[in-house]
Amino acid sequence: MTDTAIIDCNANLGNWPFRRTGYNTPDALLERLARVDIDRAWVTLLDAVMLKNVGAANPWLAEMVAGYEQLMPVGSVNPTWPAWERDLAECVDLGFRGVRVNPNYHGWTLADPIFGELLAAAGEAGMFVEVALHMTDERHHHPLVMVPPVAVDGLLDACAAHPNVAIVLANVKNAPASQLARDADGELPGNLYFELSHFESVGGVQALAGELGVERILFGTHAPYYYPESSVLKVFEECDFSEPELAAITHQNAERLLASLQAGGSQP
Amino acid sequence: MIEPGAIDCHIHPTAAQGGPPAACADELLPFADRMGIALMGTSLGPTFWRRPTREQITADNDFNAELIARHPDRFFGYANLNPNDLRFSLDEIERRVADGPFVGLKLWVAMCCDHPNVDAICERAAELGAPILQHTFFRAGGNLPGESSPDDLAALAARQREVTFIAAHAGLNWERGIRAVLGQPNILVDTCGFDPELGYTEMAVAWLGAERVVYGSDATGRSFASQLAKVYGADIDDDAKALILHGNMRRVLDL
Amino acid sequence: MVIDCHVHVQGNRGTPDDRMGYLLDYADRVGIDRLCLSLGTSRDYSPDPETFRRDNDMVWRAVEMYPERYIGFCYLNPGYLQESLEEIDRCIADGPFVGIKLWVAMLCDQPNLDPICERAAELGAPILQHTWLKITGNLQYESTPHNVANLARRHPDVNFILGHSGGNWEMGYRIVQDLPNVCAEVSGGDPELGQTEMGVAMLGAERIVYGSDAPGRSFASQLAKVRGADITDDQRAMILGGNMRRLLGL
Repeated sequence: MTDTAIIDCNANLGNWPFRRTGYNTPDALLERLARVDIDRAWVTLLDAVMLKNVGAANPWLAEMVAGYEQLMPVGSVNPTWPAWERDLAECVDLGFRGVRVNPNYHGWTLADPIFGELLAAAGEAGMFVEVALHMTDERHHHPLVMVPPVAVDGLLDACAAHPNVAIVLANVKNAPASQLARDADGELPGNLYFELSHFESVGGVQALAGELGVERILFGTHAPYYYPESSVLKVFEECDFSEPELAAITHQNAERLLASLQAGGSQP
Repeated sequence: MIEPGAIDCHIHPTAAQGGPPAACADELLPFADRMGIALMGTSLGPTFWRRPTREQITADNDFNAELIARHPDRFFGYANLNPNDLRFSLDEIERRVADGPFVGLKLWVAMCCDHPNVDAICERAAELGAPILQHTFFRAGGNLPGESSPDDLAALAARQREVTFIAAHAGLNWERGIRAVLGQPNILVDTCGFDPELGYTEMAVAWLGAERVVYGSDATGRSFASQLAKVYGADIDDDAKALILHGNMRRVLDL
Repeated sequence: MVIDCHVHVQGNRGTPDDRMGYLLDYADRVGIDRLCLSLGTSRDYSPDPETFRRDNDMVWRAVEMYPERYIGFCYLNPGYLQESLEEIDRCIADGPFVGIKLWVAMLCDQPNLDPICERAAELGAPILQHTWLKITGNLQYESTPHNVANLARRHPDVNFILGHSGGNWEMGYRIVQDLPNVCAEVSGGDPELGQTEMGVAMLGAERIVYGSDAPGRSFASQLAKVRGADITDDQRAMILGGNMRRLLGL
């Protein structure tokens, strides 16, 4: 579909407890992404969300992606659990570049002090922090596991307090993204990135890139829970981005983010 | 498969048929023999009182004293206390531990162990070298009033470094409980009172070291067997198993 | 020919006329030939006759401006039965519209729907009925696939289009699977991998149709459900346009 190299910043391995997704092993995922000309991806382990001992997901994911240069593992941390710092340290030891958090599934909010503690520790470790604002459509959650999305209240303050830590919002929809742009009054912090798999509406990616700044947008698919074609069609066919914009969205922003990471605090 | 010589750090004399200590011992010992349990740490009594009165405490401790007197080679005792009644608790420590035959203290759910009364109890326990078996739960939906969590015990143990604590049930939600006590080397975790979930003993050994894990069953409510399975079935080496089954408790009890 | 069976007049850029042109720019880029258009800017859950006539006039205007691109679906409120039947005649029998769109004004298995279905059968007009199964709670008069199934059993000579496949499509397809006069359209939900495959497996490719719910949803994210599905190219062609051509007699 495209000649531009694409990094999928939001792909997943493993199992989601409420659906058999398929395409969830490294080989199957890479093969599925290759159909839309994606050959590199950042991957989380879906199982991590519903584990109680979330940290156990990290060696599991490392083992799963061992030998797959194209897959960059993103760890998982639940900072409300004792000794979460040990999990973060283990992610560093495993060579991970970033960690994902699921505050709604783990019972905390971005306005809690623990978020600042996590950002500080991640900054020290030279890792980015990815916040998944939701996982699946709340209207169809399992009746015994109904989890509202993460509210972004407090996020801008946290970004400002930790300007050297790269923060990625994954699975972010139009409304919270626009809300943040409005709240920031055109001055979104330089360390905040938005992953586009959940951007909707006709021309929505382009409109949001305008509101948020193209330099903040990361290409992601949420595969294999989503059809990866969704993000590819939105970005390459429905929208009318220039070549430099496409390059920024599909890989340059992600590469810049990774290049900025250094122990003791990254320099976005 | 059964290794003789195990020490079960955590049982209660609740015989299925009821009856006096002699009947309880008659019912329990054949099972212990079959499962290779040489020595059992007993506490509480035939009825579990959440906030026991002085009379109930006395009756429980009398019951276990008789059990120990009948089979001193098979039972040792933790004196049951209600820290809300501090004066009586300290007196009971003198009567039961300082004067024997009890060797440790048992604290269940009468008072959360974050209370200063428990510090006073710990200070006397330290002088006597008596370990404290503290019930700990991270209960989904919230603990009972007075029920301690591993977080509460970790805070206490940080203040009372001379006392050896056993975090009973490792918090039940053990993946969290093990993490909560990680930083306090004077806390051991036992294996008792929850389902034989594969991975428990491995995580406890990996995080705390085998020398901080002790076998316990919570018999007679739990089976010796289901709880022993956590040790026998664990992917840990034989030296670690030996520490958990008896070595660590020998050290704690100075046997 | 690619037909999007579920598009609305909506948005806030420029005049309604501008929007109809601007929507086609995007449709062109993703290769959509025909767009079934319904609802106007009222977004009224229970429109009075004046309101649904005004909404239909907006659609009418778009169909007049771009007759080769837009296909009109007539919005009704069955609570106003007589006016709804008159609107069917105005828009479909005497006008350029070809289908009926029902949203959330009344549960669609109520008796008022029967005269509407009888008239739809006479005119050969398919009925696109919004449905959703929300664990968070439906709107008071928001139909589920169960309501559509009840209605479709009473009217085997009407073609129904199950809007959004019930949202919770894993349940929606099961509910309508044995009703040959119900097709399911894929629009309006997240592009969850597996949706189209399950629809084809349970209903057959001839009963699945592409729709987007644009402009609230992106054409692309919804098209991905068909373009990315593990189905044959023949099945894909039926879903993207063949089935709607059959339903609309194009």
